[in-house]
Amino acid sequence: MTEKIRTAWKFLFGDSARAFGSLSVVLVVMLAVVPAKDHFREWLHYQHEYQSLIRNRSDGVSLARRFQGGVQQIWLPELDVVDRCATCHSGLKEASLAGVAAQPFRPHPPIPHSLTEFGCVMCHRGQGFATTVEDAHSSTKAWEQAILPARYVESSCGQCHERPLEGTPQLNAGRDMLARYGCVHCHKIASPEGRVMTATDDPPSLAHVAEKTTREWIFAWIKNPQAYATTATMPNFQLSDEDARDISAFLINQSTPYIAGAPRKTPAVPKQDDTAAVQQGSSVYGESFCASCHAMQNAAGLMTGGNIGPELTRVGSKVKPEWLADWLRNPKVYDPETAMPHYRFEEKDVGLVMGFLGSKTDSDFLKDVHMDTATAAQIAHGKTLVSERGCASCHEINGVAHADNFAPELTAVGSLPLAKILFAPGMAHTVPDYISAKIRNPRSFGNALKMPKFTLSDSQVDSLVTALLAQTTRAKTLPATLRIQAAPPSTYQPAGRAGQLMTDMRCFSCHEINGRGGSMAPELTWEGSSVQRGWLVSFLKRPNTLRPTLIRRMPKFNMTDEEASVLADYIMTVYQTAAFDGAAKFAGGDSAHGKDLYYGKYACNSCHILDPAKDKGYIGPTLTEVGLRLNPEWIFHWLKNAQALRPGTLEVNWNMNDEDARAITAFLMEQKAAPRKGASR
Amino acid sequence: MKLSEAVVGVRNSRVWRSVFRAGTGDTNLHRSLAVQQNVFMHLASVKVRRRALDFGVTWYLGTLSLGCFLILVVTGILLMLYYHPSVPQGYADMKDLQFVVSAGVFLRNLHRWSAHAMVLLVFAHMFKVFYRGAYRPPREFNWVVGVVLLMLTLFLSYTGYLLPWDQLAFWAITVGSNIMSAVPLMGAKTRFLILGGNTVNANALLRFYVLHCVILPLIAVVFLAVHFWRIRKDGGLHTGEKTHE
Amino acid sequence: MSEPKDFTASMDSDSHRTPVRVAFVTRRTSPHVEARDDKNVMTYPEVLLRAAVAVEVLLLGLVVWSLFWDAPLEGLADPMLTPNPAKAPWYFLGLQELLHYFPPVVGGVIIPTLVVMALIVIPYFGINIEAEGFWIKDREKKMRVLGSVAVALVAFLAWFNVYAVLIPTVLIAGIMFLGAFASPKPGRLRRWLDSKPLSFWIMSWFLTAAIILTAIGTFFRGAGWAWVMPWSAE
Repeated sequence: MTEKIRTAWKFLFGDSARAFGSLSVVLVVMLAVVPAKDHFREWLHYQHEYQSLIRNRSDGVSLARRFQGGVQQIWLPELDVVDRCATCHSGLKEASLAGVAAQPFRPHPPIPHSLTEFGCVMCHRGQGFATTVEDAHSSTKAWEQAILPARYVESSCGQCHERPLEGTPQLNAGRDMLARYGCVHCHKIASPEGRVMTATDDPPSLAHVAEKTTREWIFAWIKNPQAYATTATMPNFQLSDEDARDISAFLINQSTPYIAGAPRKTPAVPKQDDTAAVQQGSSVYGESFCASCHAMQNAAGLMTGGNIGPELTRVGSKVKPEWLADWLRNPKVYDPETAMPHYRFEEKDVGLVMGFLGSKTDSDFLKDVHMDTATAAQIAHGKTLVSERGCASCHEINGVAHADNFAPELTAVGSLPLAKILFAPGMAHTVPDYISAKIRNPRSFGNALKMPKFTLSDSQVDSLVTALLAQTTRAKTLPATLRIQAAPPSTYQPAGRAGQLMTDMRCFSCHEINGRGGSMAPELTWEGSSVQRGWLVSFLKRPNTLRPTLIRRMPKFNMTDEEASVLADYIMTVYQTAAFDGAAKFAGGDSAHGKDLYYGKYACNSCHILDPAKDKGYIGPTLTEVGLRLNPEWIFHWLKNAQALRPGTLEVNWNMNDEDARAITAFLMEQKAAPRKGASR
Repeated sequence: MKLSEAVVGVRNSRVWRSVFRAGTGDTNLHRSLAVQQNVFMHLASVKVRRRALDFGVTWYLGTLSLGCFLILVVTGILLMLYYHPSVPQGYADMKDLQFVVSAGVFLRNLHRWSAHAMVLLVFAHMFKVFYRGAYRPPREFNWVVGVVLLMLTLFLSYTGYLLPWDQLAFWAITVGSNIMSAVPLMGAKTRFLILGGNTVNANALLRFYVLHCVILPLIAVVFLAVHFWRIRKDGGLHTGEKTHE
Repeated sequence: MSEPKDFTASMDSDSHRTPVRVAFVTRRTSPHVEARDDKNVMTYPEVLLRAAVAVEVLLLGLVVWSLFWDAPLEGLADPMLTPNPAKAPWYFLGLQELLHYFPPVVGGVIIPTLVVMALIVIPYFGINIEAEGFWIKDREKKMRVLGSVAVALVAFLAWFNVYAVLIPTVLIAGIMFLGAFASPKPGRLRRWLDSKPLSFWIMSWFLTAAIILTAIGTFFRGAGWAWVMPWSAE
C-alpha cells in the first residue's frame, strides 16, 4: 500500500515538471469552483422557483412574458436608491398572484406610489444592493439598517409627508402623541426644513400653584398622576416618597399669589348634601358644554367628554374653592394663556358649578397622605430634584429656569447608528426595539435615567415608535420637491373689538380660522359667506346644535346683545370667500323640482334630516331651518362643488348642473321651521 | 504523438523562431540562451547553485512575495474595471462586486487576502534574510533595496485599504494619517499633501487610488527589477554555507 | 575581485562559480576549506519550474481561502460616526499600540524613523564578518556601554509603562549578557548564542517587540483602546 502511494507520489510530484503539471491541474479545478459558485447563487434559485410557480397557472403565459431573468434593479440616483429586491421578488407587480402566500413571490399590495418611481428601500429599508436573503433583510456589519418590521412601515411615509395622511393613522396618531404628551418639551424634533415640532399640551404654570391646590394633592399627583385622572398625560417619574415630599414642599414654597390685595369673596356654594342644588350645578355644567373639553368618569366608570381640558372626575379633591371661583369667573386672571374660554357666568351660576364640581371627590385619593411642615433642607432638596428631573421643561416654576435641550434630540432617531445605542441586556439590537423599550420602560436602561414612564397602550407605543422612525437622515437628503411640508403655523389674529371678544372666548380653542385654531368645531374662515346674519346672532346668543349626534357642542358664553352683534358683524364682513361674489343675489329656481331632486336623484335625505319625524340621516347637519341659516348663494355653490368651498368636507362632490343646483337651493331656502326651544339636549 | 510533432513543428517555425531565438534544444547552451535572450529572464543568472534551491535556505519567501505581487497586479487590474474612485460610488462598487459581478467577491477576496499575505511574506523575507546573514557584503545594497520594497509594500497596502470607502477603510486611514501629522514642523503639510485636504475625503480617495494603481506599482516594478538584477550581480543567492565549522 | 587582504585569508580560485568568496581563518579554526558538492542547475527550466510550483502552492492556498472567507466590508464611511476602537490595518497596529504609550512625536515619528534608519544601516556596520563571539574582545567596555544602554532603555520603557516592550527587552538583554560570563562547559545552544553579533540581538529584540505589540493591538484592544480578552466577545 505505502509502495503504491510512493509510486503515485513519484508520478505526480517526482520532479519539478511533474509537480508543476499536477499542481496546475489542481489549481484549474479549484478555479473552476468560482464560476460554479456563481451558478448556485440564491437569486437564480428563486427565479427558477418563480418560473416553475407560474408554469402551471392559467395566466402562466402572460406572466412568463413579463418575467425578466437576471438581476433586476431600480436605480434612482436622486433618491439614493439602488434596489435589487425585484431580482427575487419577481411577482411584485403581478396582481393576479394575489393568492400566492409564499414569499418572495407575493405581489405588492396597491399603494399610491409607483414601485419603479420610489423603489423598495425608501419604505421598507434594508439593503437594496443585496441579492441574498440574509444581506438584504437583516442587519449585518456591512449594512446596519435591517428591513423595517411591517407594523412600523407607515413611518416611511412620514419621511416625505409631514401632513397627516388618510392612509397612515398610526403615523398621524404617533405624531399627535409626540406633541400631546409633551415629548417635544424635552426632546427636540425638527423637520428636514428645520421646523421644530411644538407641543400641543398646555402644562399649567406652577408659579401660583399653592393658591390652586394643596401640598397633599401635589404629593399624591406626582407620585402617580394616573391615580388621580386616568387620562392624565403627565408621566410617572417613579419618585420615592422622600423625593415626592421634598418636591411638593418646594413647589408650595416657590408659589406666589396671583392677585394682590384683599381676600376674595366666594359666592354662596350649595352644601354637598343639597342634592337639588348639586343637580342644578350639573345642569349648568351641561348647558355650558363643559364636557366639550373636559372629561368626567360617570358612576358606571365610562369616560365622557373632550380631552382639551383636564379630566374632572376627582376635581373636588384637588382645587381650593377661592381659586375655583376666580377661575370660573375669568380663567385668564390666573392663567393668561389658558385655552379655557371666559364664560360670562352670573355669581349664582358660579356657585352652582362649584357645588357640582365640589361633589366630584375621591375620599380614597388623599386618605394616606399626611405632610409635616417642610424643613429648609427638604425645600432645597426639592429644588434640586425639580431641576434634575426637568420639571421646568414643561412647567413654569419660580426660580428654576426652563432648560433647552434637556433630553437628547430626536430629529434623526430613526437612523440612530447601533454603535451609539447602549442596549439593555437581552434585548434585540435594532432601533425600533430600542425606541419601543425606551418608551415602555425607560428605567430598564438604568435607574439613574431621568426619562419618566408614560402610561400608554401597546398600540400607542407602536404609534410613537412609528412617528419616531420617520425621523431619518434619509429624509434630509431627499429632494425638496418630494416633501409635503406641514402647514406653517398661523399667527392669525382678528382685529379690533371682535378680535378681543374672540380671544376672550377662546374661539380658536375649537374653531380654525385662516389656518389657526383647533379642529374640534367647524372651520369658520368663510363663515360670513355661508350664513345669514340674523341666524348667526341668535346662534351666538343661544347656541343649539346643528349635528344631533355630537356630544361636544358649542357652549353658551352668556354674551350680551351688543357683543353678539359686534361678533356677527365682523364675521359677516371679514370671513368671506373669494369663490363667489358675496353681494350677488340668488336668482331663484324651481323649488318643486328641487324637492324631487332632493328626495330622488340626489337622495340628500340619506345624510341630512329635513323632517325629524321621517328622516334618519345623521351624517350631515340637520336642514330643518336651513332657509333661515344659510346664504342661498353658498348653498348653490356648495351643491355644485363643495370641495372647492371647504376642502376635505364629507359632502359629495355632485358636480351638479346649474339648473339642478338652483332648484335644490330654492327648495332648501323654503325650509324655515322655527328653531325649537332648548334644542340643545 | 501527433500533438508533440505539431508542437515541435510550431516551435521550429519561422515565426516562433523570430520571437524565441533560443531554439528548442535540451542542451545547456539552449537553456542558457533561453534566459539570456529574454528581456525579463535575463535579470536572473543562467545557472544557480543547487544548494540555493534548498527549501531551508530561503523558504522561497522572496519568490512567494513576487508571486503575491503578480497575483495582486492581475486581480487589481480586473478590479479596476469595476471601480470608480469617487464618493460614495466607490462603496457602491464594492456592493456591486459582492452582489452582481460574476465572481466579483472572489476577485476582491483574492486581492485583499493576497495583499495581507504579501505584507506578511515580505516581512518574513526580511527576517529570513537577516538571520541567514544574507544582508552582509556584497549584498548590502540589495538589502537597502529590499527595505525600500518593504516600505513600498506597506504603502501599497495602506493606499489600497482606503479604496472600499467603508467605515473600516475610512477610520484606518484617518488614524494612520493622524499619526503623520505628529511629525514636527511639516507634519500637517505632509498630511495635507498625501490626503489632498485636511480630512480624509473624496480628494484623498482619488489620490490614494492614483498612488495605489499607478505611481506605487511603477516604482515597485523598478525596484523589483533592481532587486533581482542585484541578486545575480551580487553572486547569486546567499546559501549560508559556512567556511568553517 | 580586489578585496582588501588585511587579514588571514585564502581565496577560492573558481571565480566563475562564486564570484565573491572570502574565507576567514580565525584563531580557532584551520584555514582548510571544506570541499563541497556545489553543483549548479540551469535556471531554465529547473529554477523557473520550482518558482512556479512555489507560486502555485501559494495561489492555491489563497484561492481556497478566498472561496470560503470573504474580505471584510463594513458600512459606508461616515465621518460623523467614529467606531470604537478605530483601528489601523494590522501591520500598523504595533505602531498604534506604541501611540497608546508615547506622545505622538515619539511613538508615531521618532520610533518608526529610527527603525527604518536602523534597517537601512544594518549591513554597513558591525557586520561581524568574522563571526566572532560578541564578547571575546573588549568585554569590560562592552558590558559597561551596553549595560548602561539597556538600563536606560528599561528605565525609559518603565517610565512610560510600556511593559509590552519592557519584558522582551529584559529577556533579550538577559540572554545577550549571559554570553559575557564564561561558561566552563558551554553546550551547543550556548556556543551558538555566544557567537551572535550585536545586530542579531537588536534585530531579535525588534522582532519580538513588534510581534508582541502587533498581537496586543490586534487581539487585545477594545473600546477606548482598553485591554480586552479576544474571547470575551463584546
